[in-house]
Amino acid sequence: MNLIWLQRLTCSGNTHSLLSSEDANLVFEEFEVLFHPSFSVESEEEVIKKVLKKGKLNILVVEGAINKEDDIVKKLCKIADYVIAVGSCAVYGNLPALKDKDVSGLQFRFKEKGGILGKSFISRKGYPVINLSGCPANPEWITGTLLKIKSKRKLNLDELGRPKEYYNSLAHWGCSRNEFFEWKVEAKSLGKEKGCLFYHFGCRGPLTHSTCNVILWNGVNSKTRAGTPCFGCTEYDFPRENLWETKQYAGIPAELPLGVSKRGYIMVSGMAKMFAPERLKNED
Amino acid sequence: MKIEKQVLTRVEGEAVLHLEWDKGKIIDAKINIPNTRGIEKVLEGRPFMDALVINPRVCGICGHAHLIATAMALEKVLGIESISTKAKIVRSITQLTEMIQNHIKWFYFFVMPDFVKINENLNEYKSFKGVQWRKAVSISSEIVKVIALFAGQWPHSSYAIPGGITSTFGEREVFRAKNYIKKTKDFFLKEVVGIDEEEFLKLRKKGNFGELKGDFGRFLELVYENEMHNIGKAYNRFLSGGGLYLCLKPSYKKGKGRRCKFNVEEVKELNPPDYTKARPVRYKGLPYETGPLARQLLYKNPFVKKLYSLYEDSYLTRVSARVLEIWELLSLIEKLLEKLIEHLDEKSFEGEINKQASGQGVSFIEAARGTLIHKVVVEKGKIMKYEIITPSQWNLGPRCNKYLGVAEKAIIGLDSELKAEMVLRSFDLCSVCTTH
Repeated sequence: MNLIWLQRLTCSGNTHSLLSSEDANLVFEEFEVLFHPSFSVESEEEVIKKVLKKGKLNILVVEGAINKEDDIVKKLCKIADYVIAVGSCAVYGNLPALKDKDVSGLQFRFKEKGGILGKSFISRKGYPVINLSGCPANPEWITGTLLKIKSKRKLNLDELGRPKEYYNSLAHWGCSRNEFFEWKVEAKSLGKEKGCLFYHFGCRGPLTHSTCNVILWNGVNSKTRAGTPCFGCTEYDFPRENLWETKQYAGIPAELPLGVSKRGYIMVSGMAKMFAPERLKNED
Repeated sequence: MKIEKQVLTRVEGEAVLHLEWDKGKIIDAKINIPNTRGIEKVLEGRPFMDALVINPRVCGICGHAHLIATAMALEKVLGIESISTKAKIVRSITQLTEMIQNHIKWFYFFVMPDFVKINENLNEYKSFKGVQWRKAVSISSEIVKVIALFAGQWPHSSYAIPGGITSTFGEREVFRAKNYIKKTKDFFLKEVVGIDEEEFLKLRKKGNFGELKGDFGRFLELVYENEMHNIGKAYNRFLSGGGLYLCLKPSYKKGKGRRCKFNVEEVKELNPPDYTKARPVRYKGLPYETGPLARQLLYKNPFVKKLYSLYEDSYLTRVSARVLEIWELLSLIEKLLEKLIEHLDEKSFEGEINKQASGQGVSFIEAARGTLIHKVVVEKGKIMKYEIITPSQWNLGPRCNKYLGVAEKAIIGLDSELKAEMVLRSFDLCSVCTTH
């Protein structure tokens, strides 16, 4: 299978995320990479000209937000069997789209479906744009999705075009601070081993679709395990304003864990707080 | 006269090189960075803590440097004068580690494939398939684990905050980090310079770079074969903001002259000329080269001293300085990890962050490509203005009214397009940083 990886308005973070996977070489082994701007010796223009002339391409990966005038990307999407948007810029537009109306993701502009390809875009193999959101996407999501396509297994995508195996669960799953969340023991300050960051420090773990705490970053860690709140970078509203603070109404987080009712939350958290074990509250 | 435009691959981000030719020689070179993502604009009006999340996104390969620079600039705003030694050491370890992965990737992915263009038989250095190229991919994924152990992830961590760091850890993380550093050291000795540690240190003492083997040795052969040892000279003026723990004082130097103290107040960013979105930056009105060559010269690395005495600030000296700096950085991290063990009981974060603070902050640190400066103005907790001056602006930024850009100067006079590109890559253009 051949592959073209293009970069547009990007920090190259997803390329470096790919290189941070132990399986990166497997991708270079399994795919014939026709072009990648960070690695290729050939010029982008020439490679694309050849590919368009042939009218055939197996996989197109786009990293970075795209200007709506970008005909090259549109043309390549039309002939590609699979189109992958890697990283939240290519998926939603993200940072580069915040101050520029002409910039968007491939099939979305923030939460609005459409992007530069339009709502109804389907690639040759019958999929919408396969969206690997994240700023950047976790290394294993990139290699895993590419290798799954190669193995011809069916992809199950959510309503945002993201593979369910990586985006059906929450960043909260597997967080090492889960017990503090359970018993509503709040972190009093940053830089502490104990306490949950959801109540005061803006953690989006219970609201963010990702497997960052199950498929660990660089195989060893995650933001929340390192005491940093999850900033929800796989969702369309990243980067929200005031990222390090939880907005509250009358002491209750303005946004509750996904699918939890206010009534349920107040009941459960009140009980949890009342019966929280002392060992969780004491600073060592 | 012929005018040529080349969209570059193997640079970080997008860039176009314009060359003007006369009688087979380049008479003018312009580096155009066409895009900007408007990150400084995105920051305006936001609570200042948001900068810790947004600024790493300036750059996928040196985002960690932007994080540390942000945390330090905000510390100035908040009047935080010191952080725990533990936090300080760990910030340096992660910062230095980011530089190492960058140096390795640059040498194997950007520099060596240029020689494949000249000689197709260099199979081991071919992109995607070459044996050495693949080894560089493997070690890149290994070394960044050191950052992730302390910072949660790489790329794009936000673990450094004004007053310290967010993470807590123990001996186990330190031991694991040591092991990844050891593996990278083994890679350096076996693959990059092709000799054992004892022999390497002997050569280092005398600065005998010519006896190094491995991929660096191969690089040397190729440079001499293609007569590239004397090309690509720029202004012969070097600058480093320092800030590497125990390593270097902020300083600058003209040619073989004396080392002077660097004063960030003397740095001025000017308006861009019409061909690019990048802004030129000058020190006391003059262009300076920053980065590994500047650092290793100021640091008096014996290899680099010798190279410089023979070939001045040429393509060869510049590339060598960066490759050989890998060793210096690894040795420094080893020492810092030893030291960290003694400070594990300290706090990660101290004090409070006053979310309504007003003030100004300037920070400057060393990133892989050189001196990085952040300037922030905060009013009642909101960012009024954020300014970032990146290493690539120094080295690959455009001309001002008086002087050509550093890389522009180094390219003029060359006789081939490939050589022009190679000289440009010796500075390692990070266009995503430059216009951010």
